[in-house]
Amino acid sequence: MSLNLGNIIFKPTDQYHLNDISLNFEPGKMYTILGRTLSGKTTLLKTIAGLQTPDSGNIQFEGKDFLAIPVWERNVAMVYQQFINYPHLNVKQNIEFPLKQRKMEENLIEKEVSDAIQKVGLKGFESRKIQELSGGQQQRVALARSLAKKAKILLLDEPLVNLDYKLREGLREEFKKLFTGSESSQSIFIYASTDPLEAMQLNGDIIVIDEGKILQTGSSKEVFENPANAKVAEITNDPAMNLNIGRIENNKLILNNNIQFNLPSSLQTMSSDNYLVGIRATDLHLDNNGFDFKVDISEISGSETFLHLHNQDIKCVATIEEVKSYEVDENVKINFDLSKIYLFKESGELLYSPYQK
Amino acid sequence: MPKLYTFLKYFCVILWSCFVIAPFLWAISTSFKDFNSVTGGATYIPWLQFEPTLDGWSVLFKPGSQGGINIIGPYFNSIFVTFTASFISIALGTLAAYALSRYTFKAGFVQNNDITFFFISQRIMPPVVLSIPFFIFLSTIGLLDSLAGLILVYIVLLMPIAVWIMVDFFNRVPKEIDETALIDGCNPFQAFFKVVLPNSIPGMIVAGLFCIIFGWIDFFFAFILTFTNVQLLPVKIVALNSSITPWWSLSAAALVSVAPLIIVAFIVERFLSKGNLTGALK
Amino acid sequence: MNFKHKFVFLLPGLIVLIGILIFPIIFTVRLSLSGWNSYNPGLDFVGIKNYIRLFTDDPRFWESFFRLSFLAITTVFLQYIIGFFLAHVVWKDIKFKRFFRVLFLIPMMTTPVIMTVIWRTFFHESLGPLNDFLSIFGVQPQWLSSPGLAKISIIVVEVWQWTSFMFLLLLAGLLSLPKEPFLAASIDGASPFKKFMYVTFPLMAPISIGAIIIRLIEASKIMDTVFVLTSGGPGTATETSSFYIFIKGLREFQMGYAATMSFTYLIIMIISLTIIAKVLTKVLMKE
Repeated sequence: MSLNLGNIIFKPTDQYHLNDISLNFEPGKMYTILGRTLSGKTTLLKTIAGLQTPDSGNIQFEGKDFLAIPVWERNVAMVYQQFINYPHLNVKQNIEFPLKQRKMEENLIEKEVSDAIQKVGLKGFESRKIQELSGGQQQRVALARSLAKKAKILLLDEPLVNLDYKLREGLREEFKKLFTGSESSQSIFIYASTDPLEAMQLNGDIIVIDEGKILQTGSSKEVFENPANAKVAEITNDPAMNLNIGRIENNKLILNNNIQFNLPSSLQTMSSDNYLVGIRATDLHLDNNGFDFKVDISEISGSETFLHLHNQDIKCVATIEEVKSYEVDENVKINFDLSKIYLFKESGELLYSPYQK
Repeated sequence: MPKLYTFLKYFCVILWSCFVIAPFLWAISTSFKDFNSVTGGATYIPWLQFEPTLDGWSVLFKPGSQGGINIIGPYFNSIFVTFTASFISIALGTLAAYALSRYTFKAGFVQNNDITFFFISQRIMPPVVLSIPFFIFLSTIGLLDSLAGLILVYIVLLMPIAVWIMVDFFNRVPKEIDETALIDGCNPFQAFFKVVLPNSIPGMIVAGLFCIIFGWIDFFFAFILTFTNVQLLPVKIVALNSSITPWWSLSAAALVSVAPLIIVAFIVERFLSKGNLTGALK
Repeated sequence: MNFKHKFVFLLPGLIVLIGILIFPIIFTVRLSLSGWNSYNPGLDFVGIKNYIRLFTDDPRFWESFFRLSFLAITTVFLQYIIGFFLAHVVWKDIKFKRFFRVLFLIPMMTTPVIMTVIWRTFFHESLGPLNDFLSIFGVQPQWLSSPGLAKISIIVVEVWQWTSFMFLLLLAGLLSLPKEPFLAASIDGASPFKKFMYVTFPLMAPISIGAIIIRLIEASKIMDTVFVLTSGGPGTATETSSFYIFIKGLREFQMGYAATMSFTYLIIMIISLTIIAKVLTKVLMKE
């Protein structure tokens, strides 16, 4: 019953859009494809849907060659980042469109449609025109249409990104409920996102993709604690994990001639060498005994403040748990939580994680 | 300073309005004249400067045997040719424009843009360049001096306009709508007819209006490719110009032929003000 | 998306267009290599004799071409200036905005030959209203029978007829412009003149180029106006390429030679329009 992608390559220009992708999806599970804009998330979803044909590779679904089946016979569903509905139809007609297309019986359609409308909370809006709905409602219609189909594969391409913050939080919770409900256990859910926090909250398996290549797959805990390489560490954190070249020498971790630490015991086993030193923005703290940094920019986000800092060639971002504005070039003292330090090879592979088994 | 600017603005607008209206007012006035009032020099106001008559108008609807001009036949010919050619051009042009907007074509160095350019570039051909070979072409296939022959030629004239407007229109319709239709179980034809087409009516109306305008105002092809069997309105009216000109019936005929398209001006303005035209015209 | 269905969408239109055009185009090329005329109607083969005649022994063709260039460029230039002004005025709030919009659109909806017939009576030297008006000043210009004034008459009619098309394209463009740059300019306290020079005009550059090219293509076909108003006269004073080809081909029945001129004319037009498009893009997009 699973969906298998084998060595999918898609290279329409001289750049890879999908580079040798092999994945395995099981029914009843939720998968989050996490990657930056233009990393190949949408292309991957469209390839699974059948809107795009890969140059090479194979897709198997329920033991059948999926590539031989055209998109209109695949029985997948997809919700787009833009609120895509049929503008000439009303809410109810929109939702029943795929069922009518499948020539389902009238009374069955009625039931499925009213179920779906109920689920997404659009009762009473059946005969509204799409243009009369808010963005959030429009996206609910798109979602209802996908749910009513009972498709075996449900693809969600950043469905919440164009909504405002509050709606996003609310709908995300609903999504989780809808997808983990008992009757949904037969379907495969694939959710594309650029937002690491969203990916963590959805709490499914995470697939990290960059430049058309899969960098890591695993549970959200695994990917968070043990990012396979520096790139994954950047993509799966917002703000991206701070990465600076440093070296271990004489029992010291040296970032530059100002910033040097005594090597914590956990790192004693590391040999004297150059490393890519990673630390999350949340593991940098204001501390009067800390190192001097100059503020480049400070941005306030919700109840936090992101400080972009530098000390000579060392650049980093710190998350401060309060709302406060800083002047440009203001001096702040920052300390590093040494127990949360990651070490990567200069080429990127993970060497040491604080969560290492 | 702003006052002077406003004054100048209105002054220019009114000046241009007078220029636009002048020939119409002149034609209206002339259409109620007779031989004596025309040859007596320029006059404008009926009753005051000349005695109005309806001769110029009544002659339009009399058959030729009673000394009339009978523009009703040519009128219907013009309507028939314009509408049929516009309809075919829109139908074929919309399909082609959809393909060019949504799908990728590649044959050697020829790509979508080149095909679109090929369609649109047909407008560069001056009528006279085409009319000579068309004259021989249509006479070989026996369609010279026939409505069918004219419609064929008008399709060449109008399809570029339809393709030009519709490619631009489709480029502004999110392709995700078509993709959703495909995902929802439509094959590409069903996706087009069930989903894309119902949402393309505004674009097709605009394209239709332009086809009708450019079909209706053509003169040269009809002039070269028809003689006696089939006459279109402009040819009929220009023919009046050659002999001792009866200015009164000429003016009346001109007004009658120009009138229907003035309604189009109102429709175009409506589209323009509602912002629907901007999607359809670059 | 890439499905085989795409050909079913594209091909009907493409095949119909090519089907209708293929014969005329091939025939024109073949005809241009023949000596077809009224004494000798037939597709004999005379090689490039017609082309040699055109390039070495027919100044009238080249004069008509330069006259056409002059008329096309002058009228399109005037149409652009006036059309832009009118579109700019009725773009924003002005009293009776929609009335003026409709009024300014009307000329392009009218059949050029028919309106030119009316204009002919308008320009009439003794019976027309124009000279009736000018008699106040004691002048009676020979609008259609003096070489200079005949050209001006044609320009007037062309500008009357087609400024409305330019107006439509530019107004549609103005209405599609984003609002933010204007807001920013207002906040910066830019004067209306500065706003036009630094915001409106640069934003309109691509639309202007499109509109000018479209109008140049259409204006290069000036034929109906000339045919009715002056018949190319007096002498050859208002004869354009199309009209000259028409005379040679369909009045004197030198079909072969007319085809030669047609083909040469098309090549020149395609080359010069490409160059004009490139130059306009360079000049207008720079700002």
